Amino acid sequence: MKELIDEKGLRIDGRRVDELRPLKIEVGVLKNADGSSYIEMGKNKIVVAVYGPKEVHPKHQALPDRSVLRCRYHMAPFSTDTRKPPQPSRREIEISKVIREALEPALILEEYPRTAIDVYLEVLQADGGSRCAGITASAVALADAGISMRDMVVACAAGKTSGQVVIDLNDVEDKEGEADMPIAIMPNLNQLTLFQLDGILTPEEFEKAFEMAINACRTIYDAQRKALMDKYFGKAEVGEE
Amino acid sequence: MPEVERKYVTPGELIAEGNYKSTSNVIRIRNKFYATKVGLAEISHEGIRVIPLTGPYIPRVDDLVIGKIVDFSAFSWEVDINSCFFAYLSAQSVFGKEFSPDRESLLKKFSIGDLIYAKVVAYDRTRNPLLSVSGPGLGRIPKGEVVRISPAKVPRLIGKKGSMIKTIESATNCKLIIGQNGIILMVGPPDGILLATQAIKMVESEAHLAGLTKNIQSFLSKYKEEQS
Amino acid sequence: MSAVKKSIVVEQLRKAQMIELLSKEKRLDNRGLMDFRPITIGIGVIEKANGSARVQVGNTQVIAGVKIEIGDPFPDTPDKGLLVVNTEVLPLASAYAEPGPPDEDAIELARVVDRGVRESHMIDLSKLVLIPGKKVLAVFVDVNVLNADGNLFDATSYATIASIATSKMPRYYINENGQIKQSDEIIPLPINGIPISVTMARIGDTLIVDPTSEEEAVMDARITLVLDEDGNLCAGQKGQPGTLTFDQVKKAMNIAKVKAKEIREIIKGEIMKDVRS
Repeated sequence: MKELIDEKGLRIDGRRVDELRPLKIEVGVLKNADGSSYIEMGKNKIVVAVYGPKEVHPKHQALPDRSVLRCRYHMAPFSTDTRKPPQPSRREIEISKVIREALEPALILEEYPRTAIDVYLEVLQADGGSRCAGITASAVALADAGISMRDMVVACAAGKTSGQVVIDLNDVEDKEGEADMPIAIMPNLNQLTLFQLDGILTPEEFEKAFEMAINACRTIYDAQRKALMDKYFGKAEVGEE
Repeated sequence: MPEVERKYVTPGELIAEGNYKSTSNVIRIRNKFYATKVGLAEISHEGIRVIPLTGPYIPRVDDLVIGKIVDFSAFSWEVDINSCFFAYLSAQSVFGKEFSPDRESLLKKFSIGDLIYAKVVAYDRTRNPLLSVSGPGLGRIPKGEVVRISPAKVPRLIGKKGSMIKTIESATNCKLIIGQNGIILMVGPPDGILLATQAIKMVESEAHLAGLTKNIQSFLSKYKEEQS
Repeated sequence: MSAVKKSIVVEQLRKAQMIELLSKEKRLDNRGLMDFRPITIGIGVIEKANGSARVQVGNTQVIAGVKIEIGDPFPDTPDKGLLVVNTEVLPLASAYAEPGPPDEDAIELARVVDRGVRESHMIDLSKLVLIPGKKVLAVFVDVNVLNADGNLFDATSYATIASIATSKMPRYYINENGQIKQSDEIIPLPINGIPISVTMARIGDTLIVDPTSEEEAVMDARITLVLDEDGNLCAGQKGQPGTLTFDQVKKAMNIAKVKAKEIREIIKGEIMKDVRS
């Protein structure tokens, strides 16, 4: 097995086990979309657009009592080491589904009956944890679109490399490590909305990984909130009128 | 004046705890109140609400809107009102009960791309909004220029008892017609329209700021000084 | 936020205003007839690609990535490397774009851009042969439209040439056993010169450059002319059902000559910045 943590306890990219990769979130990057965002998390570069609520086509997909959330996670052909053909793969289709199910609990879809809300995620460059970065960015884009939300959704993975529990795995750690466990949470309501696990963790390791991932999500939530605050309020004082 | 506490919030943010009434864009879980939108939260004895800074236009009955004719059928026009749904304007409501379907007469009245000023007369969760153009000032918009803002910011543009809109109208010599759906029609001299557009965009981008009315007034008066 | 028809319906008032302004040689966004919107180019934005560029022309935003891989030559060109230009108008680009395979507009877009690069001999494909007739380098250029506000032809073309011109790859060689190996040396693609695309729209009797989506929605015809480094025409395409008079075509050619020169300076400046760094 490849050694992913050195004797000083540092990972291959120099991070400590509980350290996040550099994170950048921008709001409102696409003019045509109703809401949009851009995220960089490590080498991940993802742009997200929200269109809706809008009339549903085909019409039979519409629900009488709520909006239909649709997500499309797609990787650009140049986003990976070897070119990825543009048509969606089985992996992209599964990820689209789990992203939708991670976001849906946070949205008050009953406010928009007979409509659809489309969330398009385009991965411009992929690194480990692109679904987590995608979920984090999607929640920001949905807030930018002004869709009613019970809470934000924020995601981060924990996992195990070289026998140690680490957070926010990069590409190499994801591929060579022993376990990868992406989760998403609603940070204020304290609910889990995404959970996947790929690899082996002991019950003790699981508990530790879960705890560390939740803490990481809280840090990322602060960045989400700051990005929205900067876009909508700048450095302004609260209005008096 | 009631004591009002304000703060900027994002979705999911805890606004306050206690025994309040929640009004709009707020959810309550036990005695905690959370925001559902990016906006300005107001906490007063009347309750807790969030004034959103972004979001779609959701039609309400009696709203006056500016819409664009995008299609028509034998019995009605389809109108884009900048909302989740297309609105309908029935031919019968325009031509009267005796109306018999005829493509020519429909197109003569309103053709595709025409703007109309209309009233929402029916809308609920089960059907698309229905419009009417019977009423003073309603109907096809023959001239003027259009500017669009976020529908969430229309109340700010109107101001208290229409104060903001009156301020802009008198400084620019323009007549402004505001659609609740975020579409604003300006009719007046070209330089007035240009100035009104700038002022409206300023209201949109500074909607959350203190002293907005004063800022707009000083922006408009500075322009007047430069002119004279 | 709006329910959506298949294509943009421009308001009659706005259309009338547009035509009125055009008769005075003005446009809705205050540009002159021959003015492009501001062009911004970011090079090397995707580290995992051999070359990449994000280009904005006004609100139109595209991103191109180049991947260079080992492939098999086409049987009829055993002595040439491969060039593949693919374009996707992503569903996030506008309310009118839908998920799914590229439609005829996206395919036309990719093919016109491809022709400009190919016919100008921007890349010397004969230098991309590893084992003649068997193995060559394949240059894949994938362009994603992120925000569509008109003139996708030029934005896509600029992103394509900027990403190709700044691509870097390991030097490939054949070892004594006849295997293909990579050396540590990083080299650029063999570039001859860059083609510049200039797209114009005819609305009524007026020709304008760099149309917005609103202008495209009312235009009668579109013409794209691509000029190589020597000022020669190397690709072209007339689009839309409308016609152009012969004089309009000649005028378009004269406009293209002038604009291509200006834009070549801008793009070359960005490319040189990257080369120097």
